[in-house]
Amino acid sequence: MLLDPRAIVLFGANVLLIYLSQLVNSALSAWPVYFLLLGPLVVLPALYLRHQSYFICTLLTGLWLDAVLRAPFGFFTGLLLLAGAAIFFLRSRFRPEHNYHPLLLGHLVNLWLIVALTLALGRPHFGVASFWIQVLTTLCASHLALLVVAPWFYQLERLLFEICQLETEPEDLPLL
Amino acid sequence: MAKLRLDKYKPLVALGVFLLAWWIVPVGVKVFLKAGFTEFQAPAWVANSYLEDLEGFWGRRMHSKRELEIAGQEIARAKSYYQFNAQRAETLQAEISRLESLLDLPSRREYRYEVARVIRRDVNAWWQHLILRKGRDHAIPAGAAVVFAGGVVGRVVEVNAFTSRVELITSPNFRMAAQFEGDPRPVVYQGLPQSGFGDPVGRVSDAPQDLVVTTQEPLRLVSTHLGGTFPPGLAIGQVTWLEPGVTGIFQTGQVLLDPDLLSLHEVAVLIPLNPLEVESHAP
Repeated sequence: MLLDPRAIVLFGANVLLIYLSQLVNSALSAWPVYFLLLGPLVVLPALYLRHQSYFICTLLTGLWLDAVLRAPFGFFTGLLLLAGAAIFFLRSRFRPEHNYHPLLLGHLVNLWLIVALTLALGRPHFGVASFWIQVLTTLCASHLALLVVAPWFYQLERLLFEICQLETEPEDLPLL
Repeated sequence: MAKLRLDKYKPLVALGVFLLAWWIVPVGVKVFLKAGFTEFQAPAWVANSYLEDLEGFWGRRMHSKRELEIAGQEIARAKSYYQFNAQRAETLQAEISRLESLLDLPSRREYRYEVARVIRRDVNAWWQHLILRKGRDHAIPAGAAVVFAGGVVGRVVEVNAFTSRVELITSPNFRMAAQFEGDPRPVVYQGLPQSGFGDPVGRVSDAPQDLVVTTQEPLRLVSTHLGGTFPPGLAIGQVTWLEPGVTGIFQTGQVLLDPDLLSLHEVAVLIPLNPLEVESHAP
């Protein structure tokens, strides 16, 4: 099959997480918190799917994200694919059926995206203290939120596999 | 000897191919992809905005008759006050037009006000934008000024079929010509990165040396016609201190902006009725 149906489910779940996080950010715009919850978007596709399906799912997620957020178009697509490729390359070392490894990976990818975003777009403001205060606030808020959101999101994705009567096991089992 | 698994490197090869393809793909394709994805998700945001309106409607339906009567009385008072002001504005406008024709002054830019709901606020360390529920369907032009009851909101930076994106005045990428109220000399206003704690602020530069500002007597910064985008006299913020700039010739200072800027629900887009023609103004 050209595309694993689970890729569509995972893409749909990614769209939902992006939409919900933007709704929350919009409602909290007068507060000094902003949630950038992008790490979990790439973890399960890279751990569960065959390469072709993972690539299409992550590519579509990246393009969707680039249309929502105001970074240069292609920025998040490239970064998500880069993070996804790294996870996919090492995926035999992780246990995707439990939340521990995906949670750690989600945090690492999220940190990578925030750092890359800051380096790419924040360079003119590196000397401004208020910029760093907001970046640090965003970083802390996002990673604290991920502690709750990421496990829920992974469980939701697995639940969607079951509801759609799809394969619930990853393609490659981990090396133990 | 263990067999080398080349398929292990497939993700890295695919990533390299993608990055190369992205680099050489024509700009038109990227623009098409961006517009396609943006337009595809716009209905979800618009629908959410209509749901919020519906929620407000049902919320108001829960008020008692007595509360509605009191609100009606207040609206009636406000209406008569604004009717009086409208008559006065008409009289003053006629007087201005008469004086302009007497002095043979060039005509001023006129604007149409398009009121639009804010469907999403995207305010963070890297960008500060609002998404409006009107776009090309209401002839919103890119670069148009956006205002609210408290003054300047920002500028339209992207127009889609049913939505448009506004860069907020707080954004570090936002820059406009301004002046202090009652002083015709132009200064430059620019947004600043916001810490998120406290009210939003901006920065004014190129202020003349003879201006004196104190916290007891702050100066009001307003828009000027010089930029061509904003009509003159719209409030930008209050300046409570000025200090010598890096050149020593001019002063710079912090502008305190309206805190409501970060939680707006409705704004007005100023659409010029007689857009500037750049060629005709060239020397």
